[in-house]
Amino acid sequence: MVMENKDVVKREIESIVGPDNVSSDAPDLIPYLSDSYSAMMGRDIPLPDFVILPKTTDEVQKIVLLANKYEIPIYPRSFGVNIAGSALPYKRGAIVIDLKRMDRIMEINEDTMTATIEPGVSWGRLRKEANKKGLDIIPIGGPYQTSPIGNHLLTNITPYSSKYSSDRAVTLKAVLPNGEILRTGSWASALGGDVNPYFRYAYGPDLTGMFRGSMGNFGIIVEMVERLRPLAPLENIISFGFDSLDKCMKAMQAIERLEFSRTCGAYNNILTAHFLLAPHRIKTPGERERMLKKLPPFQINLGLGGTEEMVALFERIAAEEAGNWDGYPVLLEGEDKILLDQVGEGASRGIMHMYAPFSGFAAVIGCLPITHVAEINDIVKNIVKKYDIRDPYSGEPQEHELIIVPYDRCSTVYVEQEILYDPAADRSVLEPVMQCLRECYAEIVGKYGASHTIPNKTLMKMMVPSYGNILKGFKKMVDPKGIMLPGGPYSLE
Amino acid sequence: MLKDYRDTIYHCLKCGACREAYGVSAPICPSGIKFGFDSHYAIGRISLAKAVLGGEIKLDSDLMRRVYTCTSCGACDEQCHDAVGVDPLQVIEELKYAAVEGGVIPPEVRDFLKSMNVYGNPYLLPSADRGKWMESTPFESYSGQDNLFYVGDVGSYDERGRKIARSVADLLLRAGISFGVLGERELSDGNEVNRVGERGLYEYMAQANIELFKELGINRIITLSPHAYNAFKNDYPQWGGTFEVLHYSQVLAQILAEGKIKPSGQGEMRVTFHDPCFLGRHNHEYEAPRRALKTIPGLDLVEMERNRAEALCCGGGGGNFFTDMLGSGDRSPGRLRVREALETGAQVLVTTCPKCFNMLDDALKTEAAEERIAVRDISELF
Repeated sequence: MVMENKDVVKREIESIVGPDNVSSDAPDLIPYLSDSYSAMMGRDIPLPDFVILPKTTDEVQKIVLLANKYEIPIYPRSFGVNIAGSALPYKRGAIVIDLKRMDRIMEINEDTMTATIEPGVSWGRLRKEANKKGLDIIPIGGPYQTSPIGNHLLTNITPYSSKYSSDRAVTLKAVLPNGEILRTGSWASALGGDVNPYFRYAYGPDLTGMFRGSMGNFGIIVEMVERLRPLAPLENIISFGFDSLDKCMKAMQAIERLEFSRTCGAYNNILTAHFLLAPHRIKTPGERERMLKKLPPFQINLGLGGTEEMVALFERIAAEEAGNWDGYPVLLEGEDKILLDQVGEGASRGIMHMYAPFSGFAAVIGCLPITHVAEINDIVKNIVKKYDIRDPYSGEPQEHELIIVPYDRCSTVYVEQEILYDPAADRSVLEPVMQCLRECYAEIVGKYGASHTIPNKTLMKMMVPSYGNILKGFKKMVDPKGIMLPGGPYSLE
Repeated sequence: MLKDYRDTIYHCLKCGACREAYGVSAPICPSGIKFGFDSHYAIGRISLAKAVLGGEIKLDSDLMRRVYTCTSCGACDEQCHDAVGVDPLQVIEELKYAAVEGGVIPPEVRDFLKSMNVYGNPYLLPSADRGKWMESTPFESYSGQDNLFYVGDVGSYDERGRKIARSVADLLLRAGISFGVLGERELSDGNEVNRVGERGLYEYMAQANIELFKELGINRIITLSPHAYNAFKNDYPQWGGTFEVLHYSQVLAQILAEGKIKPSGQGEMRVTFHDPCFLGRHNHEYEAPRRALKTIPGLDLVEMERNRAEALCCGGGGGNFFTDMLGSGDRSPGRLRVREALETGAQVLVTTCPKCFNMLDDALKTEAAEERIAVRDISELF
């Protein structure tokens, strides 16, 4: 943007959000140029022109209208972890819209078991407030400080709860890239929508679903009605170990089909060891090896809930089912048990440990029938070997982390495989990780057609053409000037 | 050197754990809450450090304005350390050091350091005035007593600080503790000089203090300020200054436990306690003040939501008490803290640091909450 225009735009932005909530100073802009994937991606990101901190929907809408008027690219971000380069300002002259000041929990409704939240609300805060009313969040694999809107809606991180399915967003209010306000589900009614924003499947096609995994392409979600769950009188986590992945998966399927678990997740021992040891104990020489000896090769963490009687019964049934597949109880104590429970429950600090202490991670995610888990585990194993990706702790050939979570009582499973690296390493180490990640995705999507967000540009080429055309057509309709997230890996252009 | 922290800088996950306390799921970074932009959170300052290291931006006074709003409260370390093993504060303080070395500090910091250099205190007052707080009191000059009661800059020069210093010394006297004070011989402990990055001056000040303490045969020091406590306890040993150091709240808890003073109580009173960062997060002393408070008959101690390791800073650390880089306003941490105290229904907001006291007392007035709650130093309750 030429300087003259920039001054004009700045004055207009200031009139919308106030002078304290906009900056065009380099020190305020630089922190928005990177996310947790930046080191691996190695892409140069230009400095945006502005970062702004809106507080209300009205302010967001005015900013979007202004961006349309001057055709300025906009890059919103919510709160917490930003990954995969999905919210970086790729085009010059951009506005970054930092939504963290929109942090209201507008309502927690005990009747509908929902919360209406803004993008600056974290899982942790939502859980705390929901707990006060005898409700809880539906467990999530993400860390506590992420935003439900950014985390599970836009990036479609949904697992950890097989019981409550993966559809947690009920309805939403979005500022579309053309500046219009969209409300979905029963909230779409101009007359009664505010009274009843609690029914997702009203008025035909499910527009809430259009935003799931959309990576922000279709608008800025300014409010979302989020499903909650009732807190049970007693809730706990139990764990079973398995010596083979196949038996672990069979046991998971059998347990899930009995429909009593609250949460369910299976991990390989590499992942569990990192959960338990990182970020500090893992640095002690020999500690990981000692932990690996203590842990089963694979394990299932099962969340149970109900009355004391129910939980006791569920524990017995789960043990029987696990036993049918040669599973055995994993008994950890003290800090190890606390951490394992945190991981099993999700939205916790313990979840962060899977990336620490090096913090470089490349996640390969596939969503597919349980029968293919061992195959994609082998695919990633072989590609990691091919690129000679080393373990950042030991320098030995890397064994990747593996996590499997059932969707909808194990009809399919979410499989996340983490390749770890040290982001402080030079390009000669990081570039192969990037290539390895690309190849893993190409192979998995090529063979099993399964990811969980809008395909990036490479994967889009592997879709049937009509799929991409429909998405791009929708994008064109709501974003005629192409101002929303242009130039990014997930941008529909 | 900043480059020595390259790994820490590169290992920031950009996760934002530094913004919100895990235990209470509430905002925890005072400057981040105030300004909102990531540049005022550890996550952003680490990005700035990385950009400086990579030569993408020059370290200048404008950039440093974002760094000097950090109060060194340690809340980011508390969160990040357990989440991903990174300690952002050391990077932030390294940036401050680099700014001082490079002569690119904001004017507010420059003026503070100039005052420390010329006057030996941040109040632009002669060192002869240091003893004024003890005029017309029975407190003795140090001459070989068991303890030195070290008052520090705020206790020596600030009117409210002087009152607290007298109150603490009174208690020590009542308890029969053998102590002396330095009066006009006292020198600044230098903790704030260090926290704004002037390590050369800090070392000089520390060595002058160490020399004085040794010359006078001082072995045991009771400090008024948690900031001095932190300096003497954690930094001075590297220059050979190894003394037994206690914060007065620790001594208070001890003398109460030993029955050396009997708390009388002032009837039914609901009280909440603000943890000073340099007593709590930096030195892990959370319980001594609470133990002391609980001895008071009729006192009901209620906790604010953010307490102990997840307490919100008052905004006065990291030199901000003197430089006021954070500034005022509706989102200033002192005012947020007062509102949090009000939520507990407490009639008294108690603290154990003269800087915290001033910050909270000022915030109380700005919030026009004097009718609903009072700020007190713990010593004033006995």
